[in-house]
Amino acid sequence: MDLRFLIVDDSMTMRRIVINSLRNLGYENFVEAGDGREALDKLASDSTINFIITDWNMPVFSGLELIKAIRSDAKLEHMPVLMVTTRGIKEDIIEALKAKVNNYIVKPFTPHILKEKIEQILAIAS
Amino acid sequence: MNTITSLTDLFHKLDELKTVFRYGERLIPILQSLIDFMSDTVPLLENINLSIAESTSKIPKATHQIHDITSATELATTEILDTIDVISTNISSADATINALIKSEREKKELVTSLTALAGNTPEAEALARKYDSLTNVEQTLVPLTDLFEKTRSNVYNISLSLQVQDITAQQLAAVNHLIESVQEKLSALIIDFEVSNVAVMDTSPIKVPVHTTFDPNARYSKSDEQQNMADALIKDQASRASQDEIDKIFS
Repeated sequence: MDLRFLIVDDSMTMRRIVINSLRNLGYENFVEAGDGREALDKLASDSTINFIITDWNMPVFSGLELIKAIRSDAKLEHMPVLMVTTRGIKEDIIEALKAKVNNYIVKPFTPHILKEKIEQILAIAS
Repeated sequence: MNTITSLTDLFHKLDELKTVFRYGERLIPILQSLIDFMSDTVPLLENINLSIAESTSKIPKATHQIHDITSATELATTEILDTIDVISTNISSADATINALIKSEREKKELVTSLTALAGNTPEAEALARKYDSLTNVEQTLVPLTDLFEKTRSNVYNISLSLQVQDITAQQLAAVNHLIESVQEKLSALIIDFEVSNVAVMDTSPIKVPVHTTFDPNARYSKSDEQQNMADALIKDQASRASQDEIDKIFS
């Protein structure tokens, strides 16, 4: 399966680090967005996106709001979403799970964890 | 009769007035103390007010400076990432060149072996081939270099991963900035209270940090697996409960 990732993070540094890590894992197809609203615009205009990696804390429209918007959209509800965030307390993780995130990584992440979570999501999806 | 009653009333009133004066005499020192206290306190309150006003005026500068730190570290991080990209590209290019040289060297060796065979495997030809090997054993020198490149590439990548600290510290600084702004709001309110009344009751309610903002006040750079393990356990727990629900649906 060819994956086209949408990387959503307000930090350009984090977007570059995530993309570098994905490149190291052998992926080459990426789209970037600086917040949840921009991500929704990208999803509306690019139907080839099939995997989302998103931060939580972002201006305008947070990662959590983005997941809720995706899950309430009939066209996007099954889109795999991996959250990569600094929010590591139990209540936050539960809130993200309630919003139906597929998997969750607490920053700072390692390439091993990123690979593992992507593979877990793909295994369940297939 | 009326005159007697009026005089009695008058004496009674005079007696009451006398009592008031006596109380007044006792109250005067207390009032004097109170006036003295106020004379001492008002300048003190004015000083406090001035100090608060001065401190409050410095807060925007502090928040600007914190914002500048975030911008500077982001710029520096971007520059480091750019440099890392250049180094990675150069390593890949050098690695490709070395691998091409190794391949060429192997081909040369095969050619020499073929030439030796063509020369009829004479002792002279074999001696020349051995001499060629001992003189030009480039492959042995180059192969460790490719390992070194791989290690360097891995180290450079690890540097880029460590730069996640920039995002985390940016969130911590944003949280500090928010706290400072909240303190400023409280101090500004206090200054207004001082102006309305010399003795204002200070608002001691705790400064609230909003949970759903663009930063995480609990962000931390930690190599510990504790939080990730907790996330994994919660996800696993949810997945197993979802599976159980599906089984229950089938058998219901």
